[in-house]
Formats: sequence, C-alpha cells, structure tokens
Amino acid sequence: MPIIRQDGAVAARAEAPAPTGTFEQRRRRVGLFFVGPALIALALILGYPIVRSLLMGMQNVHLAGGHIKLHWIGWANYDYLFQDSGFLLALRNTILFSFGEVALVCLLGLGAALLLNHRFGRFGILRVFLIIPWAIAPVANAVLWKWILNANYGVLNAILKSLGLIDHYVVWLGSPMRALSLLLIVDVWKSVPFIALLFLAGLQRIPKILYRAAKLDGANAWNQFRFVTMPGLRTTIAIAVVLQTIWSLRVFDLVFVLTHGGPADGTVLLNFLAYRVTFNFLNLGRGAAIANIIFAMSFVLAILYVWLLQPRRRLSS
Amino acid sequence: MNHALRYPSRRGFMGGAAGLAALGITLGAGTRPSAAAETMLDVFAPLPPDPSPPGAAKFSEAAFQAWQQAHNARVKYELLAWPQLHDRMATAFASGSSDWDLVYMCGWVPEFLDSIVPYADKLPAATVSDMPASSFKTVTVGGNRYGAVFTLSLLTLFYNTEHLEIAGLKGPPQTWDDLKRYTKELTRDGRYGWVLDYGDSAGIGGTASYWMCFLQQAGGKMYAEDGMPVFNNDAGVDALQIMLDLMKLGTDPGSISYSGINDATNVLLSGRASMMMNWPYMWKPAQDPKQSKIVGKLGGAMLPAGPAGTASIDGTDAWTMTKHCKNTALATNLVDFYLSPEVQKRQALDTGWLPIRLSVLADPEVQKALPNAAVVLEQAKHPYDSFVTANYNQITQALGTEIQKALQGKQSAKQAMAAAHDQVASIIKQNQ
Repeated sequence: MPIIRQDGAVAARAEAPAPTGTFEQRRRRVGLFFVGPALIALALILGYPIVRSLLMGMQNVHLAGGHIKLHWIGWANYDYLFQDSGFLLALRNTILFSFGEVALVCLLGLGAALLLNHRFGRFGILRVFLIIPWAIAPVANAVLWKWILNANYGVLNAILKSLGLIDHYVVWLGSPMRALSLLLIVDVWKSVPFIALLFLAGLQRIPKILYRAAKLDGANAWNQFRFVTMPGLRTTIAIAVVLQTIWSLRVFDLVFVLTHGGPADGTVLLNFLAYRVTFNFLNLGRGAAIANIIFAMSFVLAILYVWLLQPRRRLSS
Repeated sequence: MNHALRYPSRRGFMGGAAGLAALGITLGAGTRPSAAAETMLDVFAPLPPDPSPPGAAKFSEAAFQAWQQAHNARVKYELLAWPQLHDRMATAFASGSSDWDLVYMCGWVPEFLDSIVPYADKLPAATVSDMPASSFKTVTVGGNRYGAVFTLSLLTLFYNTEHLEIAGLKGPPQTWDDLKRYTKELTRDGRYGWVLDYGDSAGIGGTASYWMCFLQQAGGKMYAEDGMPVFNNDAGVDALQIMLDLMKLGTDPGSISYSGINDATNVLLSGRASMMMNWPYMWKPAQDPKQSKIVGKLGGAMLPAGPAGTASIDGTDAWTMTKHCKNTALATNLVDFYLSPEVQKRQALDTGWLPIRLSVLADPEVQKALPNAAVVLEQAKHPYDSFVTANYNQITQALGTEIQKALQGKQSAKQAMAAAHDQVASIIKQNQ
C-alpha cells in the first residue's frame, strides 16, 4: 500500500517495482550477489589450473626457447602410462602405501583417542605430546627421520645396537620394500595425531547415557566398545578413512627428502613420479597426465567425503 | 598535564604516518636517478658449499664490490641448494618467468639450449687461452660455446692414508685389481674399504655417472656416432661388474641409501670408510677439524686404471648466459671477472673449488694449499666425458635404476646392461 507524503514523493514510490519473490528468495539472491565475486575468484584460481592440466594431459608439451610448444595427441599419454613399468610400479607402491597408511593411522588414531578419552588419559600433557608430530613442518619431519634412519649415524641403529637387538648397523633405506615400509611408518607417525583428535571429538559426542544404559544391561568393556562406541563413531571412521586416503595420495616431501624414489625406484609414489616426469624429464604433458590420474582418484574420494558429511548435517539439524 | 602530548590522537597519528610516507616517497624519488643509472645483473647460482660465485660464497668479496662500483652495476644473486637448481630453471624457462642474465649449469646445456645463448667466444683471448680447451666440451653444441666452466672439477680418488698404512698398503690403488684388493683389506675394525652415494640414480653425481667413470676406464662409451647407445657390451658389463665386486668386497652397505655426495663424504671424513671417488672440493673440509676426523690423513690420487687406463667424469660447473640477458657485454665482463686470476685463486684457497685457469692451477700457493690440484690436473689428461645430452636426466634415471637393482643383487651386470640399453634406446627414439 503506497505511503502518501505531503512533499509529493508518493508518485515516485508508487512507481517503484514491487519486490519479486518471497523474502527467502530475495535473501538468497542478495547472498549470491555477495558470494559471487569469491566464487568467480575460486573458479579462476582452482578451475583454470585443473582445466589446463586436463588439456595438457592430452598434449605433447615441449619446452623450447622459453616457450611451451603444444601438440594435441589425445589419450596417447595415458596409453603410454598404463603400459609403462615405471608408472605401474608407482601405482602399485601408491596403492600399498595408501592401504597401509589408512589402516595403521585409523587403528592407532582410534587407540590414542580411546586412551585420551579415558579418565587415565585426560592429562593435558598427553595431548601436547600427541600433537607434536603433527605440528612439525613436513620437510623438517622428513629431515629429522633421515638422520634417525641414517645407516651410519642414525639414532635408531645406535639404540638397537646398544640394546643388543642388532649386531651390525641396518641400512634402513637400502632395499625397496623396507624403504617403502619405513616411509609408511614415518608418515603414520605424522598423521596419527590429527586422526586421533578427530576420533576424540567423535567419542565425546557419544552420549554418556548410552554407556550407563549398556552397563545396566550388563555389557562389559568390549561389548560397550562394540555396541556403543563403534556405531557412534561410524561416520567419523568413514570420514577419517576418506580424508586419510586423500592425504596419502599427496605424499611427496618424505619421498623427496628421504629416498628420492630409490633404491631402484622402490619408493616412487605417483605424486613423486609426476614431479620427476614434469620437472626432471621436462615431459610436461605426461607429467600432467599422471597428476590428472591422482586428481581423479582424489576427486572420487572427495565426493565420497562430502556425501558422508551429509547425513550428519541432517541429524544435527 | 597535557594528555594530547602523551597520547597522540588517532587523527594525529595517521597524519604523522602520512607525513612520514610522503617524506619517504620524496627521498625515494630523489635517489631514483642515481639508482636508475646502475645496471642490474641477475645471476642464478648454487648455494655454498657447492661452487658459488664471489659475493655469494665467502671469497673475493672486496674485489666483487670493486667490480660492481667500477661498472656502475649491481649483481643480484638468486641462490638455491644444488639439488633444486635444475627444477627451478626448468619451471622458470618453461613459464617464461626467468629474468636471469647468467645462470649456473651443470651438464644441462643441451637440455636448456633454447633458453641460453652462445657467448663464450666473446671472452678475452687471454682468459680462454688459459683454460683447458677440453673444458669447453660439455658446453659446446653445434660448434657454439654456450658457457665457460669456472672450476676444474673431475672425480678423483680420495683415501685415508692412516688406514692404508695400518693395512700395510703402500700408496693408493693404481688398477682395478688393486682397488678390489685394497677394498677387501681395508674393510676391518668396523669400517669399510669403499663408500659412495648410490642412492640417487640420475644426474652428475648419481649412480649412473659413477658407472660412466668405470665405463671409460673399461674402454667403453655411451653413444655411437648416430646417438644410439653402445654400452651393452663387455666394457659396459665390466664397468658394472667392478662396482658389484666392490660392493661384495667392502663397500659401506649404507651407500645404496646415501643420496648426495655429502652423505658419503661424511662417512669418509668420520674415518668409517677408507676410499671413495669425489670432487676436488672435498680437500678443504677434510682439513677442517670441525667437519673432519681425518685432518692431515687424506690422500688424493688418480682413479685406478681399468683395462683402458684411468678416466673420470667432468662436473661441468659453468656460467651460461640466458637469451633474456639485459646487457650481454656487461654479463660477459662479469664472467671474465669470475675467471680472473685473482678471483680464481681466492676461489681455490677459500672454498676449495679448484680454478679452471691453468696459470692459477700452477700457482705454488694454490698447489701447496690444495695438493689435490696436481692430481686433478693429471686426471684431466685422460678421458673425462660426462656424456651429457638433452635427455641426460631421463637417461641416467633409467640407467641408474638398473645399476641399483644390480647393486642390490636383484640382477646380474649383464642383465642390468641389457635392460638399461633397451630403455635408453627407447628414450632416445621417443625424443628424436
């Protein structure tokens, strides 16, 4: 209904278009207007490299005279990769590494979280100790372990020898499988804290009343863990598994510092191979193809992660 | 009490800041004409202890300042740890973001040929004639000299004189048979006869490059005239076989995990191994009690001779000029300054990296301070081909990986050579 004022503004007000849509629709439109610039910036920053990388993966890319020469070759880079023993070895290493890492990190993380959630483990100092490996910068962590594992001066050899557990110094990074296993252990050591905190948060969301009820029903500690804790942590575990798998696909610093992919390419993971092919061999197209394969794997996992988060939102709402 | 004096208002504070900024801009503008007259040269180089130029490493600093003043120039260094140099250059050249005038190269000239320009022929004749003609081999492509090597850096033998004395061994090993015998006899009391870094396959200083020394000692070579590999023969197999023999007889088992020469050098300097092949720079840290437990006990010799005599590989540390160089005359002059006798002498005496100039190598003061200079000079009279090509990294990665498998006992020398040969041939064909 128009407001009539003495100064004649009534006409102008009456001619202004009436707002369209409900209040909620208008609120969303304004929200989109404010968020729009950020979305455009994100699309440019994230989208451009992704599209460029996807295109490069289908091109033969040569560095010449400070310029990149591109030649369209379709799926040839991918065809080559899936017949290349080096790529297949890296793929096998990555799969082994990821499975091992996810299993170990989740088991140890859950154990640590249960300990911290127990009344004996609720000292602040324990949580500080737990955080230390996670807080160390990745490259510093790798250098630290390089010295721990050094065949000649390493702390690990010195301790084991002083305890009489070994007669001769062990070359920890000297054989492909042992080196890969140690890379795995080092990465597990660094990854456990975050996952433990994730589990701890999950544990603290389980209502105490469920444990009391279980006790009243005569459930022992194992049954409480099996029938109360594990169902309560189901979503958290799924999220931890997905997140940790994504992170395990990104491992690069440890390989670069500790083994450089050796010995005999035994510790080459896909991420490191992408780096090597791109920057050492200057084969930018094939390097992009490897990076795209990693991206595809991560993307599928990311979708799974988002999907896993959804039921939680519905529950909390 | 006047509070305004003690606590300036926000407006006053902002006003003061604006005034200071205006003053700064005015002063900056006032100094701009003289700064603009200076010519800036950007140089990309390795961090010490790898071979670094004056002003980046601690030598000839006063002379460097004087050169800048005399030429009204300012040299800006971008320094990186040696293992990161290649990849940084690759990304900079690929993205076109390189604004360097001079760049350090180490066997990468054929690979980055499109990004650099030949300039070494413009160096003064007096400088060029004082350098070994062979030093230009790794920086010459198609008859054009793209760089100037600034340090004579060949692999030679280093050994612990005390260990040899205790074992009753007189003088360094002269032949492969000697080398094997020495390695066996020196492996005792918790130490090893031989140590090297076999952990990294590729590049100069990688496992494949060490094998190339033995290959030449065995009378072999990497490529035929048509550019295809020719090492899958007796010479190639013999070259790998001696590495395998040394492994069994007394190579530090950790060698397979050491990536980078410093890992292996530390083992020798701590007295836990008796012999290794290494670059000339090693002499200086070995005499420093802070870094070495074998001060005064280090000996140097030419690499033991194989069936075809002694041979080595070249570190090929060189200065090259990029195609984006802003002032080629001044950049050439800067390289000439780096190669001047005074700077070369200080480079040798203060950093341990030998000079490339023959007159400085013959300088009694240099020879006294660095007794290995004479050894390296003698080694340079024999073959020292590093076999650098445009695909050097990819080729040495494939070759080095097969050698590593053999060193771990996963395959014989013959199998390794056959597999490496096929891979190298495939890489070359793909890139033709």
